[in-house]
Amino acid sequence: MKVTLLQRGGLAAGINLQRPPQVVDAATLDGTAAAELKALADAAMVTPASATATGKARDEMSYVITIEDQGRETILSQSDTTMSAEFGKLLGWLKRHLKSH
Amino acid sequence: MRASYCRCINCITPPHVLKKLLDNSDTRVRDAALRTLLATSRLRGERSVRSLFASAAAASSHGRRTISDCSNSTFLAAATLARSEDGPASGDESVNRAFEGLGDTRAFYSEVFDRDSLDGQGMRLNAYVHYGSEYNNAFWDGSEMVFGDGDGVLFTDFTKSIDVIAHELTHGVTEFTAGLQYHNQSGALNESMSDVFGSLVKQWVGKQTAAQADWLIGTDIFTPAIGADALRSLKEPGKAYNNPTLGRDPQPDHMSKYVNLPDNDVGDNGGVHINSGIPNKAFYLAAIGIGGFAWEAPGHIWYAALSASTASTEFQEFADTTYLKAGQLYGTHSTEQQAVLSAWKEVGIRISGVRTLAGTATRMRQAAMTNGNGHDEDSSDVARQIEQLSRQLAVLTKEVAGLKSKSKAH
Ligand SMILES: [Zn+2]
Ligand SMILES: [Zn+2]
Repeated sequence: MKVTLLQRGGLAAGINLQRPPQVVDAATLDGTAAAELKALADAAMVTPASATATGKARDEMSYVITIEDQGRETILSQSDTTMSAEFGKLLGWLKRHLKSH
Repeated sequence: MRASYCRCINCITPPHVLKKLLDNSDTRVRDAALRTLLATSRLRGERSVRSLFASAAAASSHGRRTISDCSNSTFLAAATLARSEDGPASGDESVNRAFEGLGDTRAFYSEVFDRDSLDGQGMRLNAYVHYGSEYNNAFWDGSEMVFGDGDGVLFTDFTKSIDVIAHELTHGVTEFTAGLQYHNQSGALNESMSDVFGSLVKQWVGKQTAAQADWLIGTDIFTPAIGADALRSLKEPGKAYNNPTLGRDPQPDHMSKYVNLPDNDVGDNGGVHINSGIPNKAFYLAAIGIGGFAWEAPGHIWYAALSASTASTEFQEFADTTYLKAGQLYGTHSTEQQAVLSAWKEVGIRISGVRTLAGTATRMRQAAMTNGNGHDEDSSDVARQIEQLSRQLAVLTKEVAGLKSKSKAH
């Protein structure tokens, strides 16, 4: 399984706009971490966004998380004000992992 | 009864009518009266009006603050109360910084523009700190502010810069005034309002003149290691940062460099945080041209233009409005109006219907001076404002009569 994270927008949109997508390949993870990622990705994929965009948020960030697993690609596009709790947990895991690697 | 009330408006001086309304038991009536009173800038400095304001002050919640702690969750509903308006200081510096930043911004809008909180009616100010994981951002969710801790690599805590806090709060002010749509040019203007007033709050707190200010946004939210000056520079858009990790500041400082980006999330809604560099630079140039404290004449001109703008206002219309407002507030051909004219010209926007041939401005100013220092325009300004106030009072009186007859029916 391969998970790609693209972060856009925010107060620092000018900086975020220039940053490439970041990739986490489960094949490079140890067994525990790979299982964590799989569980979080599975939960995020089956949970719809918690809200539809109101158009009233300013400086919020938006995220595109692409999950490639066994030849199937799932694209999740959510933002700070629309994300499900499950999407938020996957996002948090990805950011913590990407920071420490 | 309603008829006699309406006739009455013509023979009572406005402050007397307003005083009556301010004593009304209905808070909606008091707030409306207060707003009307403060809408007339000429009356603002008068002692009689000030004392009316003080007596009615208790009517509003005056932007009472509540800071909540997200404990690194993205789910705001689960956040816990960390500090309230009358509660003790927190042991958490992020909480206290957010609390103070909200207070400074609230004080700025109240003291500089006589605006009671974001909506002008004492709206409560709610903020959340420690949002999410490694969150490099702060945002306005449409009614509340949210601050991240930063990832510690690029960014640190977003409550550390007062201009960032004021930037987010100003999104609320813009929403309650012009309501500028968050796309393309109107969106870039929306962003520019937040940068302009965000910077003004920082300058006001530091009591800095336009010449002394650094005109940078977010100098304190970068980690020391990253070596960036700021998120944005109003003085030099495009030069806030330039390094291998962050890239180069993409803000244009002139219409000829306007950046066309897709109007979607990935394209920053048509580059709202990018093209804001153009109106940002115009404000900086106007402030330097006028001189002194930028929250005085320059801030008042921009605030009046924001209040007179609509959801679809673009750069040209906004520039024209600042020119118009500068004339109304400080006089046609005043140095303030000339500074506004040349500021926009320098970023590639010519004010509609104004000839900008070399020397014209000076000749016009000289002509105005020989015609009696523009006193005629000043007195007609006052007359127009009084007329406007009377109209507002008439509307208010009708509203009050309506409320009274309603409460009678109950
Ligand atoms: Zn903003
Ligand atoms: Zn009367």
